[in-house]
Amino acid sequence: MRRYWTGLAVAAVMVVSGCGLDGAGPQGEAAPAAAATGEVKGKVTLQTWALKPKFTQYMEGVISAFEKKHPGTDVTWLDQPADAYSDKVLSQAAGGTLPDVTNLPPDFARPLVKQGMLLDVSTVDSKLADEYVAGGLDAYRFSGHQGTYGYPWYLNTDVNYWNSELMTEYGLDPKQPPASFDELVEQARTMKEKSGGKVLLMSRRPEVGDLREAGVKLLSDDGKKFVFNTPEAAALIDKYRAAFKEGLMPRDVLTDTYAGNAKLFNEGAVAWTTGGGNHITSVANENPSLAPKIVASPDFGIPPLYVQGLSISKKTANLPTAVALARWVTSPENQAAFAHLVSIFPSTKSSANDPFFSKSDGTNAGDAKVIAFNSLAKAEVLQPYEVTDAMSKFIRQQISAALNGQISSKEALDAAVAKCNELLNQ
Amino acid sequence: MTYTAPTRPRRLRRLFTPWALVAPAALWLLVFNVWPSINTIVLAFTNAKPLGGGHFTGLDNFARVLSDGQLADALLNSIVFMLVCLPLLTVLPLLLAILVEKKIPGIAFFRTAFYTPVVASAVVVALIWSWVLSDRGLVNGFAQWLGIIAEPVPFLTERWLLVFSAISLTVWKGLGYYMIIYLSALGNVRRELHEAAAVDGAGPVRRFWNVTVPGVRNTMLLVSVMVAVSALRVFSELFVLSNGTGGPGGRAQSVVMLIQMYSRGFYGHFGYASALSIVLLVITIGPMLLLLRLNRKAA
Repeated sequence: MRRYWTGLAVAAVMVVSGCGLDGAGPQGEAAPAAAATGEVKGKVTLQTWALKPKFTQYMEGVISAFEKKHPGTDVTWLDQPADAYSDKVLSQAAGGTLPDVTNLPPDFARPLVKQGMLLDVSTVDSKLADEYVAGGLDAYRFSGHQGTYGYPWYLNTDVNYWNSELMTEYGLDPKQPPASFDELVEQARTMKEKSGGKVLLMSRRPEVGDLREAGVKLLSDDGKKFVFNTPEAAALIDKYRAAFKEGLMPRDVLTDTYAGNAKLFNEGAVAWTTGGGNHITSVANENPSLAPKIVASPDFGIPPLYVQGLSISKKTANLPTAVALARWVTSPENQAAFAHLVSIFPSTKSSANDPFFSKSDGTNAGDAKVIAFNSLAKAEVLQPYEVTDAMSKFIRQQISAALNGQISSKEALDAAVAKCNELLNQ
Repeated sequence: MTYTAPTRPRRLRRLFTPWALVAPAALWLLVFNVWPSINTIVLAFTNAKPLGGGHFTGLDNFARVLSDGQLADALLNSIVFMLVCLPLLTVLPLLLAILVEKKIPGIAFFRTAFYTPVVASAVVVALIWSWVLSDRGLVNGFAQWLGIIAEPVPFLTERWLLVFSAISLTVWKGLGYYMIIYLSALGNVRRELHEAAAVDGAGPVRRFWNVTVPGVRNTMLLVSVMVAVSALRVFSELFVLSNGTGGPGGRAQSVVMLIQMYSRGFYGHFGYASALSIVLLVITIGPMLLLLRLNRKAA
């Protein structure tokens, strides 16, 4: 009998320990603003996200120029792999080992700000607003927290990409790609009919950002509740739902992640995708024969704004050097040099007049870059930072259920808003 | 012959040697099993987040569990998963083991072939199956080419088809593993018993029921408990086949997928995920108790 209960106890431990979780994280300590004015020298750590090996030479050049400009400084560069970066940052934050300067997109920075772990850079840098574009700085300002918690580094947005060969083959004019969602559905219908369903135009399920893109308000002004279960949002989901029912999208959109859309496009299975200003360059690596056939056009509605920035740990032991390094990496010259290597856009005001971004070199990749650059002026961070992983997964599930006809669009949005509010208020 | 009392260092050695031998394993268990388990129970009564800890919230998480529609779906999926996997993975590997136990030329090839899926990573196998079963996958493509179906079968986008696709994958992958366990158990069933039964006129089926099954009964119990626990804790198969989405509406999620969904990211809801873990623990103990009781009765 004793063995029987011992066996049960061991099995119980097996089950629970598989799901074992740990708790609290550390609180940051305030770094006095005056400390930033000290001498720039000594050791400092810079952490970036997936820049090796493609941009190793560039980063090493930037760091070595910094060390030359400030003799006596020693920068340790850590580059983390693309996968599980949020987990890495989370473990560093929980363990109190955040590097002095860390590349954090705003959604990663916000929870650290809530715990007082990041420095308000506006307290040590009075020229922020003069040097960086408002959109970039706004991305590092969070409701309920005074200050700016990162130097915006580089920006990007989405552009529509079309496979001109498939469009021409199936009765569409690649010079007149859809300029609105309704036109997209119309042309998707034509493509499906002409190709006998072999090739499709659409292959993505709407996300919460698509609702904002269409002008739907997602979060209340005080940031305390989600409000996107509006008739306008339901009408948009209904349009997608009708398109799905008509077979204008592959059934796989119900479970594919967003990357599935780009994957199908790169394989030549669908004729439309969205992507950053450098998408054609990525396609050229994966499917070189497709890249020259791609044409770009502006995003429908409000384009999304993607921001990367450098934040400074409040616990840094070398604040003057950390601030100087963050400013150096995000300086107009260094950002411009970076933007010449890859299609990203500098977050500095002085870069706006650089013809490199506003004039195409005549290639389709150059056209896409210019379209993306021009779109930045009206781009917005579409998904509120309050939307957590669990929320966005739940929203996707509900939208899929609506597309599949399991529930109505209104029911899907009501369920999504109820769950998001429940999670927001915990 | 006179008795000489052991010297002090020898006595100490005798006293501490067993502890020293079990210490590494005990330490491992304490750090990676016992402590996380206790921590999970504590967290279930809090609103803990990955950063900043949390506060005691009493039974709030458990109250939410009771009204969570997704948990009801996940529990049903996990229970169906267990109910289908349990008989299949308890009986089929035994039959396979009996087949490959025979000493005939070339049997080693079949043993290896049946065992190969066990060696492959669950995620890699599930990825291959998702390519095979997707709308544009091998199965649908071939069936359409043969003209058997006009439209692709939604193996990965319809709740029960998705769950049963994952069950098929689990059964296919688990057969070899449990077959090996049965093979070692069959080695302990005395050959004389089979010979005596044959002399008494028992055919192969009778010998299977009256000699083989009683001989491997304890192993069958062990296998069924292992299958039940792992089926209730299913994750990789459903996660990869549904591309992490849990199918439309998340209706094909398992309980562990739900736990993963709530515990991930900077804003992970550790408290609620821990409460779900406790629920899963309780659910898992149920079938184990039942199986152990059935075994005692049969004994």
